[in-house]
Amino acid sequence: MEEKELTGQESLALITKMINKARRDYLDSGLSALLWGSVITFCSLVTFANYWIKQPVFDYVWFLTIAAVVPQIIIAIREAKKRKHRAYDEDIMGGIWISFGIAIFLLSYITNAYQVNEEGPLFLTLYGVPTFATGYARRFKPMIIGGLACWLLAILCHYTPLPYKILCMTAAAQLAWFIPGLILRKCYLKAKKQHV
Amino acid sequence: MFKDLNPILHSQLRLAVVSILISVKEAEFTYLREKTDATAGNLSVQINKLKEAGYIDVTKSFKDNYPQTICRITPEGIRAFEEYVKDLQTYLNIKK
Repeated sequence: MEEKELTGQESLALITKMINKARRDYLDSGLSALLWGSVITFCSLVTFANYWIKQPVFDYVWFLTIAAVVPQIIIAIREAKKRKHRAYDEDIMGGIWISFGIAIFLLSYITNAYQVNEEGPLFLTLYGVPTFATGYARRFKPMIIGGLACWLLAILCHYTPLPYKILCMTAAAQLAWFIPGLILRKCYLKAKKQHV
Repeated sequence: MFKDLNPILHSQLRLAVVSILISVKEAEFTYLREKTDATAGNLSVQINKLKEAGYIDVTKSFKDNYPQTICRITPEGIRAFEEYVKDLQTYLNIKK
C-alpha cells in the first residue's frame, strides 16, 4: 500500500474493505467442537451399549469428560499463541463457554447428590445454551441449528424410555458440536491453504 | 476539497490501519502488515504518527523470543474516526 491523495469515494471504499477484511478474518479451527462432539458421542454410546454389556467399569466412562479438559486447554493455548489479532467477541465467547463448563460440573454434582434420575433433559437444555449463543453471535447457522436441536432433544429425551434416551445425548453431541466442528475445520483448512 | 478532513486519518495507509483497529480489539504489527500489504518501514512510520496523535496505543513485548508489537485503538482514535466518517459523508452528501 502506497501513500497517495484519496478521494472521498476511495476513502469510504478503503474503510469498508479493511473492516470487511478484519471481520472475515476470524476463523475457528473447529478442534474444540470436534473434541467435545467426539467425547460426548463416545461416552453416550458406551453407556448405551453397557445397558446390555453390564460392565461396571463402563459406568465410569463419563470421567473421560474431565480428562478431555487437558487437550482442551492445550488447544486453547496453542490457538491463542497462533493468533495475530483479537476480536471484540472473543472474551464474551470465552466467558460463555467457561460458565457452561462450570455449570455442567455443578449440574453433575447436584444430580448425583439428589439422585435425580431424569438428568438427560437437564443436560441437553444446558448444552443448547452456549451452542445457540455462539451460533447466534457468530452468525454460524450449523451451531444455531445445533442449539435448537439440543432443546428439542431435551423434550424428546423426557418421553423416550431407557436405554434409548441416552441416544438423545449422542444426537445432541453430533448436531451441536461434531458436525459444526467438521464444517469449521473444513473452512479453516481451506482458508489456511489459501494463505500459504 | 478535502482540506477540512482530519489530515492524520486522510492518508491511505493510516486510514487502513485505523479501519482495521476499529474492527478488532487488538492486532499485531505483522497482522496489520499482512492486511495492508505495506512495507514494514512505511507501516512503522505511519503507526508512529497515529501513536503521536493519540489515536492508537502501541505495546512492545516478546513472544517466543521474538519482538511483538501490539496495536489497539484509543477512545480518542475512535472519536476521530467517527468524526472523519461523518465529515466524509457530508462531503459526499450521503444521508444516513
